Amino acid sequence: MELMTRNEAWNITYRHALGETASYFYTEIRDNKKIFGRRCATSGRVLVPPRAFSDQTLKPTTDWVEVGPGGVIEAFTMVYEDFQGLPPPPYAFGYVMLDGADTALGGFFRGVDLSNSAEAAKKLAVGTRVTTKFAEKRIGDVLDFWFEIAG
Amino acid sequence: MPLNRRIGVIGSAISVPAEPNGQSLEELLYELVQSALRDAHLTIDDIDGIIVAANDQYDGRAIAVMAASGSVGGVDRDILSTPSASDHAFVMGVLRVATGQYRTQLIVSWSPTEVHSIAEAQRLAADPYFHRRLPLDDMASFSLQASVLDSKVAGAEQIAADFNASRGSVGSHQAKRSLISDGMSSPPVTGAVALIVADADFIAEHGMKNIAWLKGMGWATETGFLGDRDLSTAPALEAARDQAYGEAGITDPRHAFNALEIADPTPYQSLIVLDVLGISKRADWEKDIAAGAFAPGGKLNFNPSGGARAANPVFCTGLRSIVEAANHVRGAASSQAEFALAHAASGFAMQYHGVFIFGTQN
Repeated sequence: MELMTRNEAWNITYRHALGETASYFYTEIRDNKKIFGRRCATSGRVLVPPRAFSDQTLKPTTDWVEVGPGGVIEAFTMVYEDFQGLPPPPYAFGYVMLDGADTALGGFFRGVDLSNSAEAAKKLAVGTRVTTKFAEKRIGDVLDFWFEIAG
Repeated sequence: MPLNRRIGVIGSAISVPAEPNGQSLEELLYELVQSALRDAHLTIDDIDGIIVAANDQYDGRAIAVMAASGSVGGVDRDILSTPSASDHAFVMGVLRVATGQYRTQLIVSWSPTEVHSIAEAQRLAADPYFHRRLPLDDMASFSLQASVLDSKVAGAEQIAADFNASRGSVGSHQAKRSLISDGMSSPPVTGAVALIVADADFIAEHGMKNIAWLKGMGWATETGFLGDRDLSTAPALEAARDQAYGEAGITDPRHAFNALEIADPTPYQSLIVLDVLGISKRADWEKDIAAGAFAPGGKLNFNPSGGARAANPVFCTGLRSIVEAANHVRGAASSQAEFALAHAASGFAMQYHGVFIFGTQN
């Protein structure tokens, strides 16, 4: 007997409210090429990306703090898997502790040859200094900025 | 089996913004939980564990607990998720306290409206083998249920219309499903609910007053295959009812409760539930409607909160009914009650049922 299968595609779209805090963050990136975090007055930590509250202290954050554009790689990976809606692989992304921040921001790394992953890994080693670059055309999105090795 | 500990609701909060206010879901949950903690005069450090319930398809985030943990105070704390139903989060929270390993639990559920179509999101609950290609969502399943009820009870369509009219107008809304006429249902709205339960020793140690003591609790589930069911009945509700009534010692349900908070996605579902709960049997529907028993301020004090018919945060309506019933007992609602019943239903044609009974006396 024939064993059948079914193809299914989930075509569901969402319109997520970002809230005041994330909206300000992306507006500053889009309009001024600046990255801001929010300070938790209780702990003193500057949270990047910014949040309206600290999930450690459960207190509202109190003030905006500009961070970066320089920073240090905290973690990295190179991805050779194809993801929908992203440029063709490979790509490198990771987390960068921007100067003045206490939490690391996720973003893409560019300017590193990923054809040899071992060599690329040396260039993206944890602790490497990077700087933030901004796209010419910005829409208020994670893809508006990326990190490159400082130098 | 009765719970081996006395457990009460000591704090709660409901957030159903009248209009979209631009808040992110995480910000809404943070404010909600802080409000519930204030209501209980506690801080997050007093909470031994957290249970959340949400629907990934509505949220647009897989594994709700991952996104919500920061907002509800779950970072570095005990937090679990029950994606099946919002009232199941309450069940799990209560059972955890009943084990004796926890004294308090925070229970949170939410239901955003950020998906372009709630109907399409609900359709994903259908199995991909036999049902996914059907236009099946909650409201369609309620309409199917209405058609069966109408075939079993003479004049059910008119009874449902009269029942709806007796509750007053809530404005126009087209369900776009047969037998569910204009104004019988409400459009989905964003909402979130939080409550805190504690055991009797904790409550006594903190000198807390105005407690909604849980007197009985039952929950049960039917088959997912609608074609296997008689949709005019609710055997899972019978099982849940027997469990809850047995624990609470309810023998005369029609006269036992001062307030009812019952699932009301459409009047057909409420009528089925009222029948099975023994509060208004089928033979009494027309008489009770004519007597205004379901009207605001009526003899049965049916859904004094307005229920889902007034505002419909789809996924968390069950937990909201629990909070509303508890608030009647706590004196935190407009309607004060010594004994209140909350009923929760979810899934296609009310696949899941929960019955919860609260009282003022420990």
